[in-house]
Amino acid sequence: MHIEIDEISKQFGTTAALHPVSLAVPSGALVALLGPSGSGKTTLLRILGGLEFPTSGRVLFDGQDATGLSVQERRAGFVFQSYALFRHMTVFDNIAYGLNARPRATRPTRAEIARRVTKLLELIQLPDIGARYPSQLSGGQRQRVALARALAIEPRMLLLDEPFGALDAKVRKELRQGLRDIHDTTGLTTVFVTHDQEEAMELADLVVVMSMGRIEQIGKPQDIRARPATPFVREFITA
Amino acid sequence: MGRPLIHRSPMPGLGLSLGITLTMLSLVVLLPIGALLLKGANYGLAGIWETVNRERVWAALFLSFRLSLLAALFNLVFGVVLAWVLVRYRFPGRRILDAVVDLPFALPTAVAGIALTALYAPNGLFGQLAAGIGWKIAYTQWGIFIALVFVGLPFVTRTVQPVVEEIEREVEEASATLGASRLHTIRHVILPMLTPAALTGFALALARAVGEYGSVIFIAGNIPLVTEIAPLLIVIQLEEFNYDAAAAIGIAMLLISFAMLLVINLIQVWSRRRIGYV
Amino acid sequence: MSDATIAKPARFRPATEESPATRWALIAVSFAGLAILVLAPLIAVFVEALADGIAASLKSLTSPDARGAIRLTLTIAAISVPLNAIFGIAAAWFITKFDFRGKAFLITLIDLPFSVSPVVAGLCIVLMFGANSAIGGWLVAQGYPIVFAMPGIILATMFVTFPFVARELIPVMIEQGRAEEEAALTLGASGWRTFRTVTLPNIRWALLYGVLLCNARAMGEFGAVAVVSGKIRGQTATMPITIEMLYQEYLSVAAFSLAGVLALLALVTLLLKTALEIRHADQLAATHRH
Repeated sequence: MHIEIDEISKQFGTTAALHPVSLAVPSGALVALLGPSGSGKTTLLRILGGLEFPTSGRVLFDGQDATGLSVQERRAGFVFQSYALFRHMTVFDNIAYGLNARPRATRPTRAEIARRVTKLLELIQLPDIGARYPSQLSGGQRQRVALARALAIEPRMLLLDEPFGALDAKVRKELRQGLRDIHDTTGLTTVFVTHDQEEAMELADLVVVMSMGRIEQIGKPQDIRARPATPFVREFITA
Repeated sequence: MGRPLIHRSPMPGLGLSLGITLTMLSLVVLLPIGALLLKGANYGLAGIWETVNRERVWAALFLSFRLSLLAALFNLVFGVVLAWVLVRYRFPGRRILDAVVDLPFALPTAVAGIALTALYAPNGLFGQLAAGIGWKIAYTQWGIFIALVFVGLPFVTRTVQPVVEEIEREVEEASATLGASRLHTIRHVILPMLTPAALTGFALALARAVGEYGSVIFIAGNIPLVTEIAPLLIVIQLEEFNYDAAAAIGIAMLLISFAMLLVINLIQVWSRRRIGYV
Repeated sequence: MSDATIAKPARFRPATEESPATRWALIAVSFAGLAILVLAPLIAVFVEALADGIAASLKSLTSPDARGAIRLTLTIAAISVPLNAIFGIAAAWFITKFDFRGKAFLITLIDLPFSVSPVVAGLCIVLMFGANSAIGGWLVAQGYPIVFAMPGIILATMFVTFPFVARELIPVMIEQGRAEEEAALTLGASGWRTFRTVTLPNIRWALLYGVLLCNARAMGEFGAVAVVSGKIRGQTATMPITIEMLYQEYLSVAAFSLAGVLALLALVTLLLKTALEIRHADQLAATHRH
C-alpha cells in the first residue's frame, strides 16, 4: 500500500514534535525513519498507526484520506518497542488475539484461526512455542512473536518502533535478516523507526533522516552516504 | 539442608532484634492463639462438633459467611471501578475521593456501627426513604450487608490501584492496533491483568467481613437464627462464662480465617507463576 | 502536494481512553457510591452529636464517664502504640538485615492478627490470661488481674494492631538494602549509632505512617476490647466501649458526641496520612503496594 504523509504537524502543548513534514512511501517499500531521540520519528510512526492524531495535515493510504480513521480501522500491524505482549495469554492466544477480536460476522472459524497461527509460527521459525507464556521467552523470541501477532490481522502495512532496540548485538543482526525476509515474503509496505544509522542503512530501501521534528533528507542508503544533504546528516551518519 | 539456620552477618543487633521479635510475637499473638487451640484440644473434636452442630450456631456461621460473600462481591465490582477512576481519570476532587476510600479503615467500627444505624433506622435519613417503598434496612440482613460493605470497601481498591498504575499503555495500544474495540480490550486484556489483585482484595475484604463485630451489632438487630452473626455468639457465650462453647465457635472461625489466608497465598503464587515478569 | 490542511476535529480520542460519556458515568458512580456508603455515615455522626446543640454535646463530653473513657483510651494508646512500634522496628530489622530459614513463615505469623476476628483475638486473651486459666489464676492470686483490667485491654489492642508498623517498615527496608549500614559499619560506627544515624533517617516517614495507622486502630478498637474489658465504668470502659454503653442507654447525644471525637481523630489521621503520601511517597511502602 502506498502511504502519503501530507504536511503533517504535531504539537504537544506548546512544543512542536513535528513541524509540517511530507513524505511518500511507495507500495511495498521498506523504509527507515532514522534520527536521534526527540527527532519526531516515533511520533510520525504513531500518527501513521492511528495512535496519535496530527495537529494539522493529512495521511493518505492509496490516495484515500485516512486521517480520520480510528486505530482499529487502520489495520496497521504495529510492533512496539517493548513488544507489549499480553503476558496473561499464551503465545498462541497472543497471535490469535486480533482475529478473535473481530466481530462475529467476520471472525474466522476456530480451526481457521489455529491454521493461521500455526502458519505464522512457522514464518517466524518458532513452530513449537505456541503453548508458552511471554515470560518464558527470550528477548528475540518475544520480538518475533510480536511481529507474528501484528501480521495475523493481515495488515495493510507494518509499523515497527525500534524493533531491535531491546536486544543484544548478536540477536539484533540475526533478526534484521528475519525482518528483511518477512518483508520480502509478504510484500508489505514497512516503516520502522531506529536511532541506529548502521541498521537503517543495512536494512532499508529508503531512509528518512529526521532531526528536531523536521525531515533532513530522504534517499536510498547509498545516496545518503554519498551525498548528505545537510551538516546534521553528515555528522549523524558518520557518528 | 546444610544451610545454617541463621547466616553469619556483619550486621549488629541480631540478638536484640531476634529477642524482641520472638518474645513479643509469642506473648501477644502466638501464646493466646495457642491457648485457644489448647482449649479446643481439651474440649475434644466431639465437643467442638457438638457445640457447633446446633441450629443457632450453623445459622450464625452461615449468615456471617453468606452476607460477607455478598458484601465482598459488591466491593469487588465497586472497588475495581474506583481503582480505575482514581488512577486513570483526572477530575476535581480526585485527591479527596482517594482519601475518603480509607475512611472505613480509620473510623472506629463502633462509631461506624451507630452512625449506620442512625442513617438506616426507620426514622433515619436513608431508613425513611427506604420505608417509603416498603424496604426495611436496619435490623434486617440488609443492614448487616451495608455494614459489611462499609468495612470491606477499601480492600479491593487498594490492592488493584497499584496494578492499574503499572499497566503499560503500549499493551492497550497493541490491542487497539490489532483491531479490538475498547470494550474488547477492557474485557480481554485489562480485566485479566487486574484479576489476581482484585481476587486478593476480595479475599481480604471477605476475611475482614466474616470476623467483623463492632460495625454490625448495632444495625443487625441480633435476632437468633435471623440476624445473629457468628462473632456475637462468641461474645454471648463468654458473657455466660461458657468458655468451652466460646472456644469451639472461635476455633471454627479461626479455621475459616486460616483457609482464607491460604487461598490468598495460593492466588498470589498462581498469578506469579502465570504472569511472571516480562 | 496539496497545501490544504484540515483542522482536526475533537472527536479523536487516544486508543487508551474510554469515551467521555463512560468516563463521566464512572466518576459519577464513584462519587455517589462513596458519598452514600462512606461520607453519609461520617456526617451522620456529627449531625446526631449536635442534635441538641453544641453546648449539650460539649457538656456530655465533660461528664465523668466520658472523661474517664478518654483518659483510658489515651493511656492505652500511649502504652500499646510505642510497644508495637518497638516490635515493628525490631522485627523489620531482624527480617531485612539477616538471612535465615523460615523468613516467609515469620512474616506470615506477624500478619496473622489481620486475618483473625477481633472477637476471636479477645477470646484468645481471655483463655490465656483469664482467671480460669493457669497463668491468669496465678496472676489474680498475686493481685495482678489481666482480663477485665487494663493489661488485658492493652494486650487485646496490641494483638489487633500488631502487624501495622512491621508491615510498613519491611518493604521499605528491603528496598533500601544493607549497603548504607555496611558502609557505616566499615567506617567504624557502632551498631546503635548506625541504626540511629543511617537506618532511622531512611525509615522515619514509613515509621510515622505505620504508627499513625496503628494509633487510629488502637484508639478505636472495639471487638477485641469488648471481650476483655468487662465494661466497668470509669475503670475498663474505653471510648468505643463507652459509646456502646451510652448508645444502649439511649443517651444518643452523649454517644455520638464521644463518637464525634473519634471521628475527628479518624479525619486527622487521614489528613496526615494523605500529607505523608504526597510529600514522602518515595519513602513509603504503602504507595508502592498495599
